[in-house]
Amino acid sequence: MATIDTTITSPDAPPVQRNGWVYAVIIAVCVVNFLPYLWVVMTGFMDGAAAASRAPQWIFTPTLDAFRYLIFEKGIMSNFMNSLIVALCSTFFSVTIGMFCAYALARYDFIGRDDVSFWVLTNRMMPPVAVLIPIFVIFQTLKLLDTLPGLILLYTAMQLPFVVWMLTGYFRDIPRRYEESAMVDGDTWFQAFRKVTLPLMMPSITATAIFVMILSWNEFAFATFLTSTNAKTMPPAIMAYSIGADIEWNVLGAAVVLITAPLILFVLVMQRQLISGLSQGVVKK
Amino acid sequence: MADLQIAGLMKQFGGFTAVNDVNITVHDGEFVFLLGPSGCGKTTTLRMIAGLEMPTSGRIEIAGRNVTFLRPRHRNIGMVFQDYGLYRHMTVFGNIAYPLEVRGLDKRAIADKVGAVAKTMQITDALQKKPDQLSAGQLQRVAIARMLVRDADVFLMDEPMSHLDAQLRGQMRAELRHIQKTVGVTTIFVTHDQLEAMTMADRIIVMKDGRMLQFATPREIFERPATEFVASFVGEPQMNILDCTLRRGDGAMLADCGPFAVTLDAGWVRANGLAKRDGQKLRLGIRPEHVSVGRDAGETHPVATELYSFEPTGAENLYVLRSGSVQVTTRTSTTETAHLGKTEGTRLAMRFDPNWIYLFDPDDGRTIAYAAASRPDAAEDAA
Ligand SMILES: Nc1ncnc2c1ncn2[C@@H]1O[C@H](COP(=O)(O)OP(=O)(O)OP(=O)(O)O)[C@@H](O)[C@H]1O
Ligand SMILES: [Mg+2]
Repeated sequence: MATIDTTITSPDAPPVQRNGWVYAVIIAVCVVNFLPYLWVVMTGFMDGAAAASRAPQWIFTPTLDAFRYLIFEKGIMSNFMNSLIVALCSTFFSVTIGMFCAYALARYDFIGRDDVSFWVLTNRMMPPVAVLIPIFVIFQTLKLLDTLPGLILLYTAMQLPFVVWMLTGYFRDIPRRYEESAMVDGDTWFQAFRKVTLPLMMPSITATAIFVMILSWNEFAFATFLTSTNAKTMPPAIMAYSIGADIEWNVLGAAVVLITAPLILFVLVMQRQLISGLSQGVVKK
Repeated sequence: MADLQIAGLMKQFGGFTAVNDVNITVHDGEFVFLLGPSGCGKTTTLRMIAGLEMPTSGRIEIAGRNVTFLRPRHRNIGMVFQDYGLYRHMTVFGNIAYPLEVRGLDKRAIADKVGAVAKTMQITDALQKKPDQLSAGQLQRVAIARMLVRDADVFLMDEPMSHLDAQLRGQMRAELRHIQKTVGVTTIFVTHDQLEAMTMADRIIVMKDGRMLQFATPREIFERPATEFVASFVGEPQMNILDCTLRRGDGAMLADCGPFAVTLDAGWVRANGLAKRDGQKLRLGIRPEHVSVGRDAGETHPVATELYSFEPTGAENLYVLRSGSVQVTTRTSTTETAHLGKTEGTRLAMRFDPNWIYLFDPDDGRTIAYAAASRPDAAEDAA
């Protein structure tokens, strides 16, 4: 047994927390994370020569050449719209459908419930490349190749397991009492769900939606294989426009700006809601 | 306002029977308590009355209407949940108004009703706050207000006071009882606190392992418990229960508890036909207040004992006495026992009041003989 040194007495003041090093770590992490992104963004505003030069240039005259090229010559805004439609629709459908699945899994006891939730998760375990070809064939047969509905359908299906898995946990955290109380007060099940459970779930649903949105927005592998002209989304478009015989770094940089800007805006806007929602949702009993 | 009838109510979860054969008739305006230890099926019974759980079999009638398998919203019931069941995304006003909004009342009527109930429950100041900002006592009041605001046929309350501290609980007891009697709505109240039940109830249903053991007035439950379990569940401190053997002594029947024997009242022995149980092993019960303590063993206090522990509670002293391996708790007024020793190990003597001795069957726990001084209530128990 450790002996306690009884000669030590209390200092005159409570110990001061010295957390300076935490900031050092945070700053280091931020720099490591942020510098490459900054570099890519800067590249987007360089001309072709400056971007391709071997020695990195920190000082250069900014130009919008790369943006002009992407937007006017390549018409990337149509890809942008495709991405937007696909991401919004698939997020909406996967979250809406997933919400009800999750609710059922969280609230109802039925035979095979645990098997269902496990099976839902296994869908996510398979690497996408494993099903690329079969899905291509299915899309071909169903005439879904290079269409927005096809991509929306696929992404909805892909994101569902994640949504179901996340939301099931959140639903379980909301006491059933709330709905029961509403039902005793005279609500139908659905009214109770809509008026009581859903408002309480909003922060969790928003968080999940943001995540799903980002995943759909950035999805590359399937988009590359299943779209060509009509429904091409941003990630494969960037690939196509910036990487040819050799890589046009400034075009790639500009494309990165275009693809990340909406996400950053979206998260910044939603974050406020998210935080206010979270702080309101704290259970005190 | 209505009466409530439950017949042969049973609920199974898989192979497990949570509630078994509950039969009760609650009269209009009655305040009835469901009392029992944790896990005995009180909440399940209540939820079946509310329609949140469907019975496996049996029948529930409210105001003569069969509601056994009806959905909650068709039953016209008000309920307070164990953890309040308040909506934390709404203000207190919104919470109380909710049941009225669901029923489509107009704004003015709602505001009036909520205001009136808030006044009764003294939460007018809190109406615009969110539940998170209230203390446990206020939350409790809001939850009750939410129930009262409805013109329900039956009120159900599931351990509504379990989160309150002892002092607040004492206040709420009187207040709730008063409100229930003023409003006059038939109310079923679930609790595992025997004091709550004894102080507030018109009648108490004692449950254990899903079965009803007794349904009677608090006084009858206390004085004429149907089983040993009921006897030891109500009353604080608990009834002393001792193993004993009946035997014939010189001139009287004795209950031999091992280190000592208790002489039984001859009239009581005759009235309960105990003579034919000569030699049987039984369980003897006596409440702490019916054991008196004296300094010396002798005529008035025949059983010599030793003080095991002394617990003063203010107006009363609890002496826990030991005689051999038998331990007996006694409760006496402080003035009466002022002259007695209070250190552990002191030699003392005790006497069992022969008018307040109970005998229980050791196998099924049923009461064989009620105390001679206990009186049955006028038979009003229809069940
Ligand atoms: N949905 C359920 N599924 C399975 N068993 C259940 C379910 N609900 C309750 N039970 C079981 O039924 C029994 C009675 O439960 P109940 O909640 O009615 O007890 P209680 O008397 O209210 O207890 P407490 O005082 O702790 O609230 C318990 O053993 C419990 O485990
Ligand atoms: Mg309970």
